[in-house]
Amino acid sequence: MSDYLATVLLVEDDTEIRRFLHAALGVEGYKVVESANARRGAIDASSHKPDLAIVDLGLPDFDGLEVIKGIREWSEMPILVLSARSREHAKLEAFDAGADDYVTKPFGIGELLARVRVALRHRARAPTGGSALRLGPCVVDLEARRTLREGREVHLTPIEYRLVGCLARHLGMVVSHRELLSEVWGPTHQADTHYLRIYLKRLRDKLEADPMRPRHFLTETGVGYRLVADE
Amino acid sequence: MEPVRPWIGYASAAAGVTLCTLAGFAMTPRFDIVNVAMVYLVAVVVVALKFTRGAAIACALLSVLAFDIVFVPPQGVLTVNDAQYLLTFAIMLAVALVISHLTEKRQDEAQARARLAIEAETERVRSTLLASISHDLRTPLAVLAGASSTLAEGGERLAPAEREALARSLFAQARDLSEQVDKVLQMTRLETGAPKLDRDWASIAEIAASLLDRLADRLATHRVLVEIPSDLPLVRVDAVLIEQALGNLLDNAARHTPPGTVVRLRAKRDAGQLVVSVEDCGMGLGPLDRDRIFAKFERGAAEAGGRGMGLGLAICRAIVALHGGRTWAEATPGGGLTFRFSLPLEAEPPSPSEAEGP
Repeated sequence: MSDYLATVLLVEDDTEIRRFLHAALGVEGYKVVESANARRGAIDASSHKPDLAIVDLGLPDFDGLEVIKGIREWSEMPILVLSARSREHAKLEAFDAGADDYVTKPFGIGELLARVRVALRHRARAPTGGSALRLGPCVVDLEARRTLREGREVHLTPIEYRLVGCLARHLGMVVSHRELLSEVWGPTHQADTHYLRIYLKRLRDKLEADPMRPRHFLTETGVGYRLVADE
Repeated sequence: MEPVRPWIGYASAAAGVTLCTLAGFAMTPRFDIVNVAMVYLVAVVVVALKFTRGAAIACALLSVLAFDIVFVPPQGVLTVNDAQYLLTFAIMLAVALVISHLTEKRQDEAQARARLAIEAETERVRSTLLASISHDLRTPLAVLAGASSTLAEGGERLAPAEREALARSLFAQARDLSEQVDKVLQMTRLETGAPKLDRDWASIAEIAASLLDRLADRLATHRVLVEIPSDLPLVRVDAVLIEQALGNLLDNAARHTPPGTVVRLRAKRDAGQLVVSVEDCGMGLGPLDRDRIFAKFERGAAEAGGRGMGLGLAICRAIVALHGGRTWAEATPGGGLTFRFSLPLEAEPPSPSEAEGP
């Protein structure tokens, strides 16, 4: 039973894609539960209690979204979405429904496994989340609200701390524009994307080694941002 | 051919007849009134050439009426019983009908020719598309089928390094194939009805950074230098599409210039516009080819056998045009090609307020 690293629910209608994902995840030590459609996915999610769900958005009836909403009603498990490049809108809706990350088809398995590892690590760390963030030249202590860059103190404003905090709660994963705006500025500011552009630039100027080629505050164009910290 | 509204024809007929009547007044002291009739005939011919058959008939009718009432004695009265002037009317009517008929025939022929030209162009695009598909899609498909069946049927007899090389080539070819298909789909979507733009405030520096990460493998062969001033204003665009447009330019530069050369990505503000450029140090193109290169399925002459279907630049141009911008190519000073596109700048919305400082 507990020989597995984790249990992964795979909701995907295409047999061939399920086949190689099952093989790749199995080799890595994950137990895989396969569901060929949304209804089955919802049932399997509640009966198997997986640690993570991978949901294909390209299900013919478009109800990958319903699977995500269904899971979010009772679980905080990380949800990873498989999306097609031509369906940017579906991706955005998936994030609004509660997805945590995505991989665009066609993907290399390395990319997918990396996302799976980040999502599961996040789950393992979620309850505490206390320690300081190491971001290249900087160390950000969110609790003490103290930031050092190469040993020197750097001033961050309260909003900047809130923004870093919100991204850090989903460390390594995507946080949508809408979620960031409503958590940091409040629900009335959900459409003020330019706030994010301005603040992310400030954060990068303060915290990135090269603000033009950020390594920590990453842009997910059209979707949101992703904070990547050093181990 | 002239897509004029019908009333313009009738108005012109009335104006022409008025003009002829005035000319007739000027002529009557010295010319016989038969010559005045000739002047009216000119009006009928002109109207028949330029406008509809109805307008020509109206012109003939008005001409005879005006001629009869104004010039044929007794003046000021319509004398229909005069057989002579019925003949005049019949001749004018005949001229009007014959000329209208010829004009309509000529217009129909011109329309038919234009339709044929469009059909020929569609056919050319279709056959180029098919040729591209058969070359650019079938070659990777052949590699996929060959390499995968080699792995499946003789995999254990291959050296591990060979096996891995085959598998990696499968992966690369499949990615490439998927990109080509995406481009065909994107071009089709851009051409058949403008897609809805999802405009939002975006930073070109962010778009560039995310793009350079995404294309890192592809651009690894070149030295990419980014010069984007940190104080550039935000643009209100569909960031996903603009990233695609810029990505196609970068991909294009990396594909068509020698490895190891420099590719410069710049952005600057210029007279109410944001101008983004990708400069390469390749062979460049002649002035004539610099515009042609943006057309669908066009590739530089030097690389007819090159990869890619020639859709990248056409997609870039279509995306920028949707945003109200312009795309063009110039020679890079010192050799090479520079692609630029412009995006209109809008007044930025109010910034979030928060006191900086401790």
